[in-house]
Amino acid sequence: MSSVNPPARFSAEFDANSQEFSLAGVVRPRSADEIATSISTLKEAIEEVRGVLYINVKRLIQMNNTAFHAFVRVVLDACRARSDLRFVIITSSVVGWTTRMFAHLNKLDPQITVEVYDSKFYPGQNFVENTSFIPILRTQTKMTWRHERAILPRHGMRPGIVMADICCGIGDFAVLVQKDFQPARIVALDHSRASLAYARDVAAGFGISGIEYTYGDASEMLLEGNQFDLVTCRHSLQIFNRPDVLLGELYRICKPGGRVYVTNEKNSHCLGEPRSQSIQWTYNEVAKLFSHFEMDVELGPKSRRYLADAGFEDIIVESFMVTNLDGDPRDFADVIMAWEDVYAGEMAVKRGDSAEFIQRFRQGFQDHIFAALHPKGYAGWPIWVASGRKPL
Amino acid sequence: MHVAEREPEADFEPLLQLEMEMGTFLSDWHHCDQLSTFVARMISLNRTDPVRHSNFFSSALNELLEVLFRGGFPDGQIGCAVYRQGPTERVKLTFPCPPRQRHFLNEAVAKARRGDALARYLDSISTDLAPTRDAVLLDLTINFDALIHLEDSAPSSITLVVDLPLEGIVT
Ligand SMILES: C[S@@+](CC[C@H](N)C(=O)[O-])C[C@H]1O[C@@H](n2cnc3c(N)ncnc32)[C@H](O)[C@@H]1O
Repeated sequence: MSSVNPPARFSAEFDANSQEFSLAGVVRPRSADEIATSISTLKEAIEEVRGVLYINVKRLIQMNNTAFHAFVRVVLDACRARSDLRFVIITSSVVGWTTRMFAHLNKLDPQITVEVYDSKFYPGQNFVENTSFIPILRTQTKMTWRHERAILPRHGMRPGIVMADICCGIGDFAVLVQKDFQPARIVALDHSRASLAYARDVAAGFGISGIEYTYGDASEMLLEGNQFDLVTCRHSLQIFNRPDVLLGELYRICKPGGRVYVTNEKNSHCLGEPRSQSIQWTYNEVAKLFSHFEMDVELGPKSRRYLADAGFEDIIVESFMVTNLDGDPRDFADVIMAWEDVYAGEMAVKRGDSAEFIQRFRQGFQDHIFAALHPKGYAGWPIWVASGRKPL
Repeated sequence: MHVAEREPEADFEPLLQLEMEMGTFLSDWHHCDQLSTFVARMISLNRTDPVRHSNFFSSALNELLEVLFRGGFPDGQIGCAVYRQGPTERVKLTFPCPPRQRHFLNEAVAKARRGDALARYLDSISTDLAPTRDAVLLDLTINFDALIHLEDSAPSSITLVVDLPLEGIVT
């Protein structure tokens, strides 16, 4: 073991606009003196705020008792000195011990309340985390893998790497990667307990071990920074209302010199012959429907810009088209059927669409299936792949 | 550092064992963080949620190692063994301990097991400037549902045995 000091893994910041003091990372000092600057930041924050100070520890990965006592001391002293001030501590349901440790503070002083942050991140969350989304994910990955298997090596995939698949869904991508590329380590993270349970069942059923499925919030991950050679995030930037925040997290956990790989769609570009017009109408509506729930399923071609804005270099973008000719056309039809079930059967209903609209909406999916299964038909689903290197 | 298998505890499956010269351990504070991170990663790999289990476990083990670091004598060896039974990991830390220290440690462990542990834990948070050894053991009892006891090992050393039922808390 080396005696070199590890790089700074901890931050304590105050944002005056939101009256929020945030602790993030790993803090295990030998004495409180080592965190004197952070303690001063907290004291200054207390001086500055009016009414309430939010203390955000959602991204606090580790904090030893020495640091805990030091920060708590400041807060408790402030409670005594300032009856006008309230403290709201925000912990994450993902990090079990912080939730337990901080929950006690309310017992020490009623001016302190503790909130556990979870879910309800954005309007579309419920759809994608629901079990009814599972058939979509299962059928999709089956179709995309034949393309991505050939594409991935150009984006940094190779045996022996340490990788993470963020927003892994039911984990089928991780299983395929492990089988075909043998990385040294795969962490697969998602915020859907239903999908993770499914993933673990599948892995157990196939006797697959070594994929570390973990529950987490991709926009505030418990994973330490700079540790993965390759971070993949498929079909998921497009479902976040703040893709830049998610991308920032992917960047953080990626090693300098490593790559972040994202795939996204442009749903309005799904196509088919015959019946192209009905198909096109429906997929234009799909894009509008998702945008109603603050999801941008047109993101694919924008991924180059997102990666550039996030600070990546050596950005590579390519696209591929999943079609009914890729294999058994019924597999393609299964994808469309799964879409129709959720998009028309759940999301449009949730938006409050009329029966006429939903019928026409469904017709486009049916026509897409018709095109896929037609002996002379052609049906396509285009996908954009983009990756960038985190600078050294 | 020496890594080896050893005789299992009854009903407990041995997962890992490390030994290190106490002098080496005490030469750098960061060893607590590095060891707890490493051990946590290794033993969590086949838990349901390895990342979160490891985070939780590392938190507990680090506190224990910090206690040893602060009270440590540079002679002899420190041993760290981890066993598993169902949802529980058992951590056994063996370290040199003169008779006087043994007495204090016994008391701290006994206090952590008493019914008023929560009250004394809260008291320690609100009054102690820095966490004492007692406060750390209380923290483990309260926040990690740990069960702690001591075993005598060789004449001049002692073994702290901490059962951590983290799998149930994590998932
Ligand atoms: C469209 S799916 C893509 C899944 C998978 N990558 C695939 O291609 O099969 C989006 C996934 O993101 C997950 N997700 C949504 N919000 C999340 C969050 N805040 N943190 C982690 N995962 C999230 C959903 O549970 C869902 O599994």
